[in-house]
Amino acid sequence: MQIGVQQVGAVTVVELDGRIDSTTAKSFGDSLLGVLKPGQARVIVDFKNILYISSAGFRALLLAGRMAEETESKFALCNLTAEVNRLFDLGAFTDLFVIYSSRDEGLTKLSA
Amino acid sequence: MHDGRPATAEIKIRNVVEDMSLVVEFVEAFGRTRGIAPSVINDLNICLDELLNNIISYGYDDRRNHSIRVKIAINGDELLTEIEDDGRPFDPRKSAKPNLAGDLQSRRLGGVGIHFVNRLMDDIDYDRSGRYNRLTLRKKLRT
Repeated sequence: MQIGVQQVGAVTVVELDGRIDSTTAKSFGDSLLGVLKPGQARVIVDFKNILYISSAGFRALLLAGRMAEETESKFALCNLTAEVNRLFDLGAFTDLFVIYSSRDEGLTKLSA
Repeated sequence: MHDGRPATAEIKIRNVVEDMSLVVEFVEAFGRTRGIAPSVINDLNICLDELLNNIISYGYDDRRNHSIRVKIAINGDELLTEIEDDGRPFDPRKSAKPNLAGDLQSRRLGGVGIHFVNRLMDDIDYDRSGRYNRLTLRKKLRT
């Protein structure tokens, strides 16, 4: 899995490709915590090139979501493929996160 | 599917998380050469991630090296996967129903892995013979 972090105005975009699984979940989680920890961050995770996410990845996402609340950061996800979306639904994770259909929409909302 | 390639393939890994990526590549290659839909291959890889991680993380009482065998076969219109390990007996069919309730703060961090396996595969079979767990996963190959 590749992880890229870039700043678009006030928003930090975390871009990934590949699989979020037992092997890669730790570096995924560490990257998210790293950008959220300073506080009052605006972070969007782009799932466009993610093949799938297993329970290890969802665990990292939950921890990131909690960190976002603690640090009063805005934290959102975008570009979930149909396959990834189905995993969010299966695990009842969809309602726990702010999810935008496109990166542009997310950038607009998070920049406001 | 009978194009000269054997319909069965097997890989053995050590009981270390670092070896799990070998299984991912093995499953990908199996699917690619036999024209299996990527969505089916992804579903299988998710299930193997959950099950192998469970075995490696919680399956052993000692700190010795063990090997885990993963075998994939095409059987008619089914993708058949067998996992064999010599860890502690574990029948995933008997694991507790996951608690999926709660908000971001109260939601349980674990417990969803076996739920994924149950939902992504069509059938799961478990058998303990001697000191081996043998888990059989079945998934329909829809066109």
